[in-house]
Amino acid sequence: MIILKILCLIFWLLIVPGCMGLLCFSFLEKRHRTPGAALIAGYMLQFGLVELIGIPIVIYVVYNGFRTFVYLLTPVFLLLGGLGALLFFRGRKREGLPVFGSAGKGLGGLFQDMSLEGKVLWGLFLALVLFQMYMAFTRASFDGDDAYYGVQALTAQQVDTLYRVNPYTGRSAPLDVRHALALFPIWEAWAGKVSGIHATIICHSVVPLVFIPLTYLIYYEIGKTLFAGKRRVLPMFMLLLGLWQVFGNISLYTTETFFLTRTWQGKSFAGNFVIPAVIWIFLQLYEEEKRLIWWVLLGVLNLAGGASSSLAVLLSCLMTVGFGFLYAVSKRKFMILFKAGLSCVCGGVYVLIYLLLTRGFFGV
Amino acid sequence: MFGIFMESLVIFKLYTGLKLLLVLSLISWVYLLFAEKERRNRLLFVYAPLLVIVLFLFPVSRWAFVAAGLDGETYYRILWTIPMGIITVYGFCRFFAGHRRIGTAVGAALIILCGRCVYRSGYISRAENLYHIPDTVIEICDRIEPENPDARVWAVMPAELIHFVRQYSSRINMPYGREMLVNQWSYYNAVYEAMEGNEIVDVEELLKATRAEYCQYIVLSPGRETVQDPLSCGLVLADEIDGYRIYEDPVTREVVESWQGYYEDEE
Repeated sequence: MIILKILCLIFWLLIVPGCMGLLCFSFLEKRHRTPGAALIAGYMLQFGLVELIGIPIVIYVVYNGFRTFVYLLTPVFLLLGGLGALLFFRGRKREGLPVFGSAGKGLGGLFQDMSLEGKVLWGLFLALVLFQMYMAFTRASFDGDDAYYGVQALTAQQVDTLYRVNPYTGRSAPLDVRHALALFPIWEAWAGKVSGIHATIICHSVVPLVFIPLTYLIYYEIGKTLFAGKRRVLPMFMLLLGLWQVFGNISLYTTETFFLTRTWQGKSFAGNFVIPAVIWIFLQLYEEEKRLIWWVLLGVLNLAGGASSSLAVLLSCLMTVGFGFLYAVSKRKFMILFKAGLSCVCGGVYVLIYLLLTRGFFGV
Repeated sequence: MFGIFMESLVIFKLYTGLKLLLVLSLISWVYLLFAEKERRNRLLFVYAPLLVIVLFLFPVSRWAFVAAGLDGETYYRILWTIPMGIITVYGFCRFFAGHRRIGTAVGAALIILCGRCVYRSGYISRAENLYHIPDTVIEICDRIEPENPDARVWAVMPAELIHFVRQYSSRINMPYGREMLVNQWSYYNAVYEAMEGNEIVDVEELLKATRAEYCQYIVLSPGRETVQDPLSCGLVLADEIDGYRIYEDPVTREVVESWQGYYEDEE
């Protein structure tokens, strides 16, 4: 039974989002078509869809809201994942590449060519990430906010209603408009539902095992871009960043503190997935500003941030417009600023719904 | 306006802790300011952070933030958009690109010495189970959870267990929860006053409050003293788990059972 649940988790939390991310591959340059990029893009799509499908349910479905959410979201994930895999494998066949395995040297070949120094640094980095995952799994980190966010996930799973129960007491309550659009806990409840695991176990024991490596995947992609011509520096960059995450606990408020002590909360998702992902996309956009897929991904990301909070959407949109402005001025192409603005439309609609909801303009 | 600026400055100080890691970031940023030639990296890691800091400290920003209906206490999260880690480590890697072994050793040593290990936090302890909540809470919840999967039970819990109970089971309701433990929220709750208002619990007063809320169970911490003997007030000691005494109130149980019977008949 436990093995089956673990297999379910691997399927729903790694394979499905990874396959969903493959949807972007046809539009990306070959050098970006990596498993890591697929998983990152897949999670962007997943959380974008969680918001797109979840928000109307949260607002309008009073009873059986969670069941409705699961029934609508799960097939969409499966469909997009299947489609992504199909397009990817057909594309490889068309290009005459083996269906499975790397087109080039692959990971094994990469390590063969690496210097001893590189191997040692990569080994140390991997050990550090595994250590962080081990600590996340075996150590309990107390945080008062869990009494809200963790319980919202469990309430969705066990009571089948979304944000209409006071998590502290269990009393029925009107829709909690302040948090209702931040569906990260509901996604956790969904992950628990499809794998048959208690939502609190998903939050505290499973999510860190997925999101800690996921954040490092983004940093890896960032590092690959920063050190494009100097790949030998990459393991040093990753190792020092790994250490930075462990020793960045200079206050309760840093993203590093959230990363390892509150990984399962939407706030950590904002600071350690959404924000680094915006930076990753803008690193690509400098050279590839005409490639539409990056702008689309950015637009999806600006909505996906809503799973964390309205502030996360605001921050990612602020970064989008800010970076867009700097790029536009630097390159003297004001079209960039226009595209940056367009990629904030979904996020803008989210904020608008939030404002209308909190001011009582609509909602059940 | 100056007051708002000072507030933002205090938030910045709290965020960075004014620790040496901030100095490390600053050194790296200054190095990138002079050494980084690639325009893209200058825009993202030199100019953008500067803009964010200016925006963050600019009083109108904080005013607009609060006016937009956002929680003023989360204003510090604007600083999240400055990737301190990437800036510092990138600067380091650039500086030591030709001497990677020394660079890694020096960089690692500086980060360890200037930072603070997250696992030294007093809030981190060995997990007792996959839920990452105390075993005691699980045992208490298993003991009082109703057998009927559609039924709910109300229980008053000691302050130290309140955060965890509903993370384990949403079928256990509480007359008050974490909202009563956060001082700045200043809510009032009659059961809370009776349970936590005095060091020694007045069971008769507590029962008045819990019966009004239809609480079937009262859980008392190990060693918690009471003015009256709970048993002599009509409570039944249902169990004792790790020193926590679980009392059941037969009067409330009867009332709740009569409701449940009524609803089951209706169905």
